[in-house]
Amino acid sequence: MVTMRATLKKAAAGFSLSIVGLAALSFLATPLESGASTKIAADGLGATAQICPTGTTQVAGRVGVPANLVNENGDTAKKNAGTAYSDVQCYNAAGELVAYGNADILYELPSSALIPLGQQLYMQDCASCHGVHADGVLPNGTTGNYPDLTGLGPATINFWVTTGRMPAANPRDVQAMRRQPRLTVFQSNAIAAWVNSLQPATPYIPSANLNGANLTVGQDLFALNCAACHTITGGGDALASSTYAPSLHVATPTQIVDAIRTGPGNMPRFTGNLTDSQVRDITAYVAESIQKPTNIGGVGMGGLGPVAEGFIGLALGVGGLMLVSFWVGDRSE
Amino acid sequence: MTAVLKPRTKRQAKEAAGPYGKVGDAVAELDERLGIAKGGRTFLDKIFPDHWSFMLGEIALYSFVILLITGIFLTLYFVPSQGLVKVPMNFPYKPLRGDTVSQAFMSTINMSFNVRCGLLMRQMHHWACDIFVGAIVVHMARVFFTGAFRKPRETNWLVGTTLLILAIANGFLGYSLPDDLVSGTGIRIADSIMLSVPVVGSYLSYFVFGGNFPGQVVIARFFIIHVLLVPLIILGLVGAHLALLVRQKHTQFPGKGRTERNVVGSPMFPVFIFKTQGFLFMTFGVTALLGAFAQINPIWQFGQYIPSNISYAVQPDWYMGFLDGLLRIFPAWEWNAWGHTIPFEVTFPAVIFPGIVFNVAMAWPILERKFFGGDNEIHHLLDRPRDVPKRTAFGVAFFALLATLFVASSTDVLANYFHVSLNTVLWTMRVLTILIPLIAYPVTYKICRELQGGGANMGKRKRPNDVVRTAEGEYVATQAPVRPGDVHHELDATPVPTFIAAAVVAEAEEVVESSDATTGARVVDR
Amino acid sequence: MSENLNDHGAADITTVSADAPQMQPLAKNPKGVEKAISALLLVGIAAFVGFGVCYWQNAAYWTYGALLGLGLLAMGAAFIAWGKYLLPRGPFVEERHALASTESERSAFAAALMERGAGEIKRRKVLGTLLGGSLGVFSIVALFPLVRSLGPLPGDKLAVTDWKKGQRLVDINGNPVHITDMAVGGVLTVYPQGLENTDDGQAIDQTILIRVQNEPFTTKKGRESWTPSGYVAYSKLCTHLGCPVGLYEQQLELLVCPCHQSMFNVRNGALPQFGPAPRPLPQLPLAADSEGFLIAAGGYNEPVGPGYWERP
Repeated sequence: MVTMRATLKKAAAGFSLSIVGLAALSFLATPLESGASTKIAADGLGATAQICPTGTTQVAGRVGVPANLVNENGDTAKKNAGTAYSDVQCYNAAGELVAYGNADILYELPSSALIPLGQQLYMQDCASCHGVHADGVLPNGTTGNYPDLTGLGPATINFWVTTGRMPAANPRDVQAMRRQPRLTVFQSNAIAAWVNSLQPATPYIPSANLNGANLTVGQDLFALNCAACHTITGGGDALASSTYAPSLHVATPTQIVDAIRTGPGNMPRFTGNLTDSQVRDITAYVAESIQKPTNIGGVGMGGLGPVAEGFIGLALGVGGLMLVSFWVGDRSE
Repeated sequence: MTAVLKPRTKRQAKEAAGPYGKVGDAVAELDERLGIAKGGRTFLDKIFPDHWSFMLGEIALYSFVILLITGIFLTLYFVPSQGLVKVPMNFPYKPLRGDTVSQAFMSTINMSFNVRCGLLMRQMHHWACDIFVGAIVVHMARVFFTGAFRKPRETNWLVGTTLLILAIANGFLGYSLPDDLVSGTGIRIADSIMLSVPVVGSYLSYFVFGGNFPGQVVIARFFIIHVLLVPLIILGLVGAHLALLVRQKHTQFPGKGRTERNVVGSPMFPVFIFKTQGFLFMTFGVTALLGAFAQINPIWQFGQYIPSNISYAVQPDWYMGFLDGLLRIFPAWEWNAWGHTIPFEVTFPAVIFPGIVFNVAMAWPILERKFFGGDNEIHHLLDRPRDVPKRTAFGVAFFALLATLFVASSTDVLANYFHVSLNTVLWTMRVLTILIPLIAYPVTYKICRELQGGGANMGKRKRPNDVVRTAEGEYVATQAPVRPGDVHHELDATPVPTFIAAAVVAEAEEVVESSDATTGARVVDR
Repeated sequence: MSENLNDHGAADITTVSADAPQMQPLAKNPKGVEKAISALLLVGIAAFVGFGVCYWQNAAYWTYGALLGLGLLAMGAAFIAWGKYLLPRGPFVEERHALASTESERSAFAAALMERGAGEIKRRKVLGTLLGGSLGVFSIVALFPLVRSLGPLPGDKLAVTDWKKGQRLVDINGNPVHITDMAVGGVLTVYPQGLENTDDGQAIDQTILIRVQNEPFTTKKGRESWTPSGYVAYSKLCTHLGCPVGLYEQQLELLVCPCHQSMFNVRNGALPQFGPAPRPLPQLPLAADSEGFLIAAGGYNEPVGPGYWERP
């Protein structure tokens, strides 16, 4: 039975890859060797696949990443996992790395034309806590109260600003909660562009291509990696010390990838151990199956499960039938 | 030898058949062989008291009937095996396509998506289970607070408590069958609870799972226990429960004409039969509506159980909640000495505590006699809860304890909902679990005492006043008319007549003057 | 008012005057109630027909239950209304006869039990003892196949896992974990290589790998070398009830059990700091092999998971 499960799992995994035309897993299964990535990227995407935005130069394989680019932990081993060493890099005319990724997720740097606007917005909305240099140093010299934003990559800014968590409603809160964003996505990109200009870093802002995603892989990985905090139906719940795993029901695909790749707040950061293809599958599962749950059996009751069901069963079931017995029986003593 | 005359006309045929036609013939035939007439008549005349609270046990009985019917349907589709299969690529629910799942899971999602009415039956089965256990608890509370368990009914109280335990156990077993993420977590916890039993724990676990958890046999074993063993015992005990009820006759509330030597109410046939039959259909109907509109246990959203997968906010069905609650709030007291470990933080909440709860419940008739001022007399008339303040206070405190523990099983949900820290909620629940029963006892006791002094009409429904504004602007209050049902027992009780339909009595036997239609007496058309 | 013909012996016929108030229906307007009941029954019939049609047409899921429920509720209400409003309102009474038998009947029964049964056994004490003995032995040996056949003996299997020195850590897909794979704050469920798809591997060996920082650190005295490059691995089985401790809060550096909210601090050897878990999660010593992949530097040095009697 055990071997059967193993075989079938492999078959399922193989299927998922055949759909999206990725050879990532087969790459991962082989020992890591330098130089292998170029070949894999070319195999997986085909010679003609254009992933980069128009107007940029597409380079396959991990070559030519700017030396000044801050990369998480300086890690270089895994590609295809949200790092600038992904399958494809895109350079603009000035030779700057403006995007990278693959057919599943493309990570893009906001246009540098937005930098002046971003600086202006930053000074208005962010500088009072994070300091004028975005390094967490306040004008009076205190540090450590609020995070240093440099070297985190545009995806981090994108997550916190587009989910409305930043600018913070109450900066002293243990955890900023999702709310109506105060800044638009455009403004958020501008801020990200300016902060990134101080110290270029990855991950860039992702956009996931959900077409052809494998929801089965998504569900399996969600149950293994995400459900422990966000619950299997994505409703979120209370964690230790007044922290919360937020509900996933309103997150956009970009925010989901942001969160997985950057690990905002107390959320763990998933990098080399989840490939872009897997992240894309998880994102598709959240966007398609959790946000639009298949409640074929009636009202879904918020996914809270047995507690809500118990209340309904007792209140409507037993309670309703007790009302019937009130009618059937006699009420005087 | 007499010649058999064939009836020539319908009239002759009718006469030949006797006054009760074919039914009369059938009764005669059966009575000659089985002697049913006398007992049968007694049975038809059996009196059932009318008070609404006596119908609570019927909710339980009828939801059990629904469980049997829907359960039989489910067995036709469920495959109790942990063998692995691949979900077909054309399966309606996309995130499961191509997944490797156990046959138990596969067959459950298959009956949910691909069998017409399958999901309805599944949901009705689960809802009926929630209602079944709930109704047993409510029924038990009624029996407890009115003292219906007293001599001579201690045996039936014992049978009833056993039924509750079996219902809870079977609920858990059934919940475990689909092999989804949530139920698998439940089985994992059950395994750890078995392990926590001193001395024999690891043997218990190995024998149930046929080796290491999860093994390959547990679903099949749970299945046969769930669909055969426990239901058979429940069925037998339900039979015993009802047989004892018939033998000992129903209790009744004190009231006009009601004594320890009689039972006042409606006769089994036809009044009670009509009402209870209607109640069966209503129970069925409520369950069907819940099954239609309220989704329960959508396992396709949870996915196949894999031992290293886990979801937050996983809770057992409500009737296991008090155990889960105590497991959460109990301090981490594990004892280790002489190379042995007693995981008291599990043993107490999950093994000893339910043992205490159910043993206290079962032994209550004796406990009351010994410690709460109960007597050893035979009682058929019920107590009003306020008149027995000690028992009522104990019962309220007992239920308050279990209810607090039930709430404690949702510490995370509470923390999330009220936006307080988990730590605060946990400590609050720890304090409340001790405090609430301690407060509930004296408060209930005091309330009972106050109510006793409140006069005979306290607690009865008050007749509202209709206030009318007159043309002069004066407000006049008049008491609203008495509602039917409230005055029901103002009448004296009468023995059950053989002929419920009065007009027929007059026609057939002519022992009573025919009824006068103009007085409004009921005449049944024949 | 009532007359019991029992006294006349013959016909066991009880009668009550048809004029008696108890014999009247509760309804003030029986015709109206009859109409209401017939309406209910018609609704019921219509709903059942609808159910049949919906089934035949394979209509939307909720229509089955809704129509079935509606039909049953209507039918049930009709029954109840008939019983409550149209049949004699009562109340009726029945005598309650004492359950107890007479004194002589009792003693006769007791005598029969004692004299015929127990007395006989008492008279033949040896036979009685042997009979009791045989029943006792039978009920004990009968347990052997009923219980013992159910599963193997646990032995010390609960105390061991499959982790061995030098074994690579792999994820659920069998990929080994390279020391540069995970970022600080990252978390991954790992298994001994080759066992990631087995029941034992998933249920017992499951281990949670966390990168707490970039440099090694000490969780506990004597475990200085267990955390290469800031990676730390703990058994994923909660010491409370064996749930997978899959919830990691990277800023608080806490592992939380999703079942009962036990919290373990990953920096100080997963010492429980909140909740019902009694013991720290066992820590797996880690190392990196020559290729830079994470391996176990040894097995767990204590049994993983919840407590049990034989646990030392």
